[in-house]
Amino acid sequence: MAAARLGLAPPETGRADARTRRRAHSTLLADFGPFGALVLLCVIFSLLSPQFATWGNVRNILDSAAVLGVIAVGLTFVLLLGAIDLSIEGVMATAAISVALLVANSRNDIDLGFIGIVAAVALGACFGLASGMLSTGLKIPSFMTTLGMSAIGIGIATVLFAGVQPSLRSPELAEWASGQWLGLTRLTFVALGVVVVGLLIQRYTRLGRYARAIGGAEELAVLSGIPVRRYKTIAFTFAGAVYGLAGVMVTIQLGSGIVQAGVGQNFAAITAAVVGGTLLSGGRGGVLHSIVGVLIVTVLVNGLVLIGVSPYVQKAVQGVIVVVAVAITAWPLRQRLRVVK
Amino acid sequence: MSVEKQIEDAASAPVLAVHDLRKKFAETTALDGVSFEVRPHEVVGLIGENGAGKSTLLKMLVGLAQPDSGSIELRGKRVKMRGIAQAGAAGIGMVFQEQSLIPNLTVAENILFGAEGAAVVGGVYRWKELRRRAQVQLDKIGSKIKIDAITEELTFAERQLVEVAKVLATEERTNAEPVVLLDEPTSVLDRDETEVLFAQIERLRTRASVVFVSHRLDEVLRVSDRVYVLRNGKTVAECVPGDVDEAALRRMMIGRDLEGSHYGEEDQLPVREEVRLSVRGLSIKGVCEDIDLDVHVGEILGIAGVQGSGREELCRGIFGALATRGSMTLDGRPIKPGSPRTAISADIGFVPAERRREGMVGSMSVAENITLPHIGEVCAGPVLQRGKERRLADEWIERLSIRTPSASAPLGSLSGGNQQKAVLARWMVSDSLKLLILDHPTRGLDVGAKSEVYRLIRELTASGVSVLLMADSLEELIAMSHRVLVMKDGRVTDVIDARAGDKPAPVTVLERMI
Amino acid sequence: MSVTDKTGTFARLGDPPRMTQSARRQLLLTVMPIVVLAALVAAIAVANPNFLRPASIWTALDSAVPLMILASGAMLVILCGGIDLSVAALASMASVLVALWIPALGGWAVILVVLVCALAGMLQGVVHVVAQIPSFLVTLGGLAVWSGIALVASGASTIGVSGTTLDWAFTRLTDWRIPSAVLIAAGLVIVFALVLQLTPVRRWLISIGSSEPAALLAGVPVAQTKIAAFVVSGACAGFAGVMLVGRTFSGAPTLADSLLLPVVAAIVVGGTAITGGFGGIGRTVIGVLIITVLRVGLSVAGVDPSYEQIFYGVLVIAAVALTIDRSKLPFVK
Repeated sequence: MAAARLGLAPPETGRADARTRRRAHSTLLADFGPFGALVLLCVIFSLLSPQFATWGNVRNILDSAAVLGVIAVGLTFVLLLGAIDLSIEGVMATAAISVALLVANSRNDIDLGFIGIVAAVALGACFGLASGMLSTGLKIPSFMTTLGMSAIGIGIATVLFAGVQPSLRSPELAEWASGQWLGLTRLTFVALGVVVVGLLIQRYTRLGRYARAIGGAEELAVLSGIPVRRYKTIAFTFAGAVYGLAGVMVTIQLGSGIVQAGVGQNFAAITAAVVGGTLLSGGRGGVLHSIVGVLIVTVLVNGLVLIGVSPYVQKAVQGVIVVVAVAITAWPLRQRLRVVK
Repeated sequence: MSVEKQIEDAASAPVLAVHDLRKKFAETTALDGVSFEVRPHEVVGLIGENGAGKSTLLKMLVGLAQPDSGSIELRGKRVKMRGIAQAGAAGIGMVFQEQSLIPNLTVAENILFGAEGAAVVGGVYRWKELRRRAQVQLDKIGSKIKIDAITEELTFAERQLVEVAKVLATEERTNAEPVVLLDEPTSVLDRDETEVLFAQIERLRTRASVVFVSHRLDEVLRVSDRVYVLRNGKTVAECVPGDVDEAALRRMMIGRDLEGSHYGEEDQLPVREEVRLSVRGLSIKGVCEDIDLDVHVGEILGIAGVQGSGREELCRGIFGALATRGSMTLDGRPIKPGSPRTAISADIGFVPAERRREGMVGSMSVAENITLPHIGEVCAGPVLQRGKERRLADEWIERLSIRTPSASAPLGSLSGGNQQKAVLARWMVSDSLKLLILDHPTRGLDVGAKSEVYRLIRELTASGVSVLLMADSLEELIAMSHRVLVMKDGRVTDVIDARAGDKPAPVTVLERMI
Repeated sequence: MSVTDKTGTFARLGDPPRMTQSARRQLLLTVMPIVVLAALVAAIAVANPNFLRPASIWTALDSAVPLMILASGAMLVILCGGIDLSVAALASMASVLVALWIPALGGWAVILVVLVCALAGMLQGVVHVVAQIPSFLVTLGGLAVWSGIALVASGASTIGVSGTTLDWAFTRLTDWRIPSAVLIAAGLVIVFALVLQLTPVRRWLISIGSSEPAALLAGVPVAQTKIAAFVVSGACAGFAGVMLVGRTFSGAPTLADSLLLPVVAAIVVGGTAITGGFGGIGRTVIGVLIITVLRVGLSVAGVDPSYEQIFYGVLVIAAVALTIDRSKLPFVK
């Protein structure tokens, strides 16, 4: 069901001063808390494991954060709206297999090179467009639409896969995964680029500002004459394109296209965004917040592995973290007869 | 402003003229022929009781509601308002009581929201330009609010000024002086903030025309050039502040004295001695403080107060729907309703004002709705006895003359009056009902249904049930109640006796309310 | 007055009863699924008359059992207006636990596992109700936790089960070769139907799903009912996991994961509104049958099983679009 909406109108009583002061404090917490948590985590892990605080490990962390970071940028815009996106794994799957079949590969003779990558990203955008249009046009809650789209994406990817894994045969693309600039893989710089683009869009375009407004007070946005449906759809489309890019990145990293390209990413991305301060209720946080969350999640995974915790526990830990993080933000808003679905 | 200019303005055509607006909502008439006009650079006051039609009227002026008939003319041209955005483009804007600003955006963005103009080119924000344009609006009212502040971090009074700035932004868009509608702007401001607002209104006057709606008659008289009084959906009077005082305004708001025979006044039995509900020191955070009240067995205690007085929340708190501090005893035993369920097991009932959303489950049948709170009465252990339930429902349908095809018809398919009777039935089913809280029980009902409900309430009290009553009209409240508790700004200001045969005039109650 | 009160206090009360629209919708939701099921069965029977032989019918029904058990429990949560996204992961976890515990505990492992899953469901319900966090989020987190537990407990591998402890779950009875699983599922459905029909539980669920504020103010035990729904959903997930082990002779950490979407699809396609407040066990049975027949039909038609996911996705979106009660969601997120 759609996430419960955090308060809409500010308190009506003039005795609001105490509340506005408290709100200013809680925004402070929301803005700097996650960063503080990140620093704390780094400190704890450096104490627990000697290998943590090495340059090699830092580069490791940044490289492994690249794909998740890209996904989180896209998801951020959907979350700002107050919606949710569960289609990440499906879109990534389709994009991953598509790009593997469109650039030089072991299964066919097509080699579109860069165009192939653009095509895969565009495919992701189409998924996003469909999610956005179905959600806004048919008024279906986004979690339902994107859940369905994920299945469709996995299905298409499975059909395209057709039982034979397409491996990349392009040395240039392999370079992107292994080649290094400043000790980081090239893909990490791609991720950085996406983050910068995301920040610019968020700050300087209508999409960015209106997405925030819609998440903050959708009814008011509608009444003020904003074409809300249009901006919601654009946000979903942008997110889909970004997920497509992430799928391409995974294929390049693995050297072949697999249907499981996005496994676990949907959950990790939601956890990252929420922990970083981009709340599920919408209108809060942003790209930078989500990226801090991505770093927290990545550091956590990295650190836990270094101190010998089973990787199987990762997902469970993320599950607990996301629920606790939401509980912390939702706790002060509890009311006796509040309806939460 | 010079005298010549004032005379010139007074003689010129009205900037806003409303002719004979009418609006009916199914069974209720909200507006029954409202006409008034606003001249350039004028401040026009609009007053009226709850339910007189003020909100509906204002909403029509900004396109949030459509009139059934009548016309609105803006600067001489007939207009059809379709929404806030379009109204803003036409040059009329409202400063809302519960605010229309997007809380997580900056002040600058909110002021120009939806109408950024050249500050956003090709979808790209030019922040310097946006800030400049927004600052121009803030300068018009001389406000020192920071243009980059996040809206929700401002105080209520500051946000209100931002809303004023937002309305003023229409001036550049339309090249005409805007009409600014102020809806109860001072109801939550303190003394100093109110003074600031009045200073703003004086500044506004030079470049806009203002409609000022308020409950606070002293303020209306102080600020307005002319005052219109609304009653029962009609404009009943137009006066000039110099010619009237608050008492006169109140009389015009209320109209002729009660003619309450259809309230069944003659059936009002005297109050018994024993106290049923005793409340001491009840407080609800941010809403009301230190409330004391007593309700006797068989008494109807009416609670009067304007919106924001805390009366609705008080009643909900007694029913356990809101967290409260303080103590309560029922028939001598202390109770602490932590939830509606505990209140119900203490034999308290509650009929909410919003019947469709909170009063009934529309998709369930009449019988199911009636037995909902006291499901135990129709169960043998865990098993539902449908036969017994059916008989019970039929009995009450008969007793209260609920018009329905059968007890299993969905409650949502009945008319408003019959729905309300079914909702009342669910509390009357229990013989041990001690206290019934009625939140505007006759709202939206036609005259016939209203009198049936009054009759039912009287019957209940005759059998010893105590009632807490809130009603829209003072007439109804006074006629039905044995005593009237008056609340203002979260505190009890008075308890007025309202015995049968010696009812107070509504103005008496009104002056304690506002 | 609030700017978002579109037409003021009067209008909210004065709208003419929109029951004709709602009644039409209810009729659609009741009749359509049965029609769709009949049409599907007919279509398949035409393509492959062998389908109507008792043997294939029993086999088809047998394959539907895990889905049926999962959907019955999940349906209760959906009736209240929430959703339980963790049912599949919980079933997977249950399969791992039962496979691990049978050697030591024999038949008792089944009861213990169902209890553990019921507790898991209760935990989710309590967090949802007490912390007032949306159910989809709590169960999304739960999904990850149960998956993690399954992975750790099984070491990410499949655990074989030998012996006869679970034979009752996957055997054929009498000369008619009726699958025991079908009887068990039928028994479960009957128990559900009895409880829903004979006790106030159904009207509590419906009132919570269709007008929770009204239910709260009318004294319906909302918190308890919601938590109970999650408990039953968890227990059913656990039991479904056991049934799966019975037929695959192994427990695996992702055994039931792919069942999540079919469960949601079955419930919605059967005519239970995703927004809650309308639906029931009968509809869910029809929905499960539709999904199962669809699957059989696809393979009869020679469609690549890879297409199954696409079908489910489209089906879920279409079914929700058709059955959702838009009046309850003025602003859909």
